[in-house]
Amino acid sequence: MTMIRMNNIHKYFAGVHVLKGVSLEVNKGEIISIIGPSGSGKSTLLRCMNQLEKIDQGSVEIEGIVVEAAGDVGVKITATPQEVRTAYRKMGMVFQSFNLFPHMTALGNVIEAPMLVHKLGKGEAVKNAEKQLNKVGLLEKKDAFPSKLSGGQKQRVAIARALAMNPDIMLFDEPTSALDPELIGEVLSVIKNLAQEHMTMIIVTHEMGFAKEISDRVIFMDDGKILEDQSPAVFFDNPRHPRIKTFLEKML
Amino acid sequence: MDHLEYVLSILPFIASGLKLTAKVYVATLLFALPVGLLAAIGKVKGPKIITRLLYLYTWIWRGTPLLLQLFFVFYGLPIIGIRLSPFAAATITYTLNSGAYLTEIFRGGIESIDKGQYEAAKVLGMTYPQTMRRIIIPQTVRRVLPPTCSEAVNLVKETALLAVIGMPDLLRIATQIFTRDFNITPFIVAFVLYLIVSSVLVKLFGTLEKKYSIYE
Repeated sequence: MTMIRMNNIHKYFAGVHVLKGVSLEVNKGEIISIIGPSGSGKSTLLRCMNQLEKIDQGSVEIEGIVVEAAGDVGVKITATPQEVRTAYRKMGMVFQSFNLFPHMTALGNVIEAPMLVHKLGKGEAVKNAEKQLNKVGLLEKKDAFPSKLSGGQKQRVAIARALAMNPDIMLFDEPTSALDPELIGEVLSVIKNLAQEHMTMIIVTHEMGFAKEISDRVIFMDDGKILEDQSPAVFFDNPRHPRIKTFLEKML
Repeated sequence: MDHLEYVLSILPFIASGLKLTAKVYVATLLFALPVGLLAAIGKVKGPKIITRLLYLYTWIWRGTPLLLQLFFVFYGLPIIGIRLSPFAAATITYTLNSGAYLTEIFRGGIESIDKGQYEAAKVLGMTYPQTMRRIIIPQTVRRVLPPTCSEAVNLVKETALLAVIGMPDLLRIATQIFTRDFNITPFIVAFVLYLIVSSVLVKLFGTLEKKYSIYE
């Protein structure tokens, strides 16, 4: 089953062409790493999936529903606004800068959206939130405010918060880039556990070892285009593009 | 007549003045806070026409003297046929004036919240009103408490202009007693009362600030 289909996406920022016709399909249960030099459009591509950025041309489908279509792409949005909203809610997202709600405890962060959006009762929301916090190993921190948590703990709460909405797809936008090196491992291991549950995941990352270990596909972006879409074995051990070879040499 | 006895004898008059001051003050805050909040949200997120009107509003009301605004409402509106009770006229003027300052305070507060907060709320499926109510405004409140406290204390002192347009507020009553007895004691009493009210406000805002700081 195709979870996300992006067709010929173009995106401009103030006249700068940052995505130049990117097409991508993500299947159920797939784990895809997006890597590439900074400014290559990795994060923008991810943010175009859930409308944090509006696309200028192309179309986006989530689980078969066209949620965005711009320009002459031959598809139209046929779903109702309600169906479009529901489709977007199938995607959870984790940010580089965590974006926890600072005025709420860890538990408060996790129960907020299920109660507001899914109209869950408080008892049920708390039960589910505790399950998610336990999953990321932070149940004992549930009453702590974000300011009292380390970066790694914050990111794990952010993952629990996203999981509490029962997403089918998780998007990670450089989830470990803002962390001290010794805290990266705890976040990566939480993501690895999700991989074992066959969560569909798209991860923008600079952690090459992690990408190699966890991914089903590695996508290399350069200058607003997908230069390579390959299995990690081929990508890392036998890169075909000289551009990718140079990049990997610099990273390793 | 002994000093204390004199103070006690004028206190009932002074108290009636304080009561009027308090009434205008409380009514003003009650209206100005929501006016400021709504206008701030309008300025941040409203359609262009609303934003323009709100800029016009804060430009005029922050850019002219409060006393002149009082004159316009008290003496100007009746000329075009709008007759208001002095209390209503005063409350409206103070509300619009204070509301303009609060609009700018709240707008600055709302705009100081990181855009990542909106993005996190959006990807969790929250609507814009939900995001404002549960995520943005609570964080804004914490940040705007200190400037709002200043504005609240300013407003206490600005109510003294009621005396100029002839309303029997705390200062006007004190002035009347001064003219009658030719004794400055009523001014001292008024002085102390203004100071007490301001101090209570500062204390109250301090407590609120502490309460809202637990997460920092």
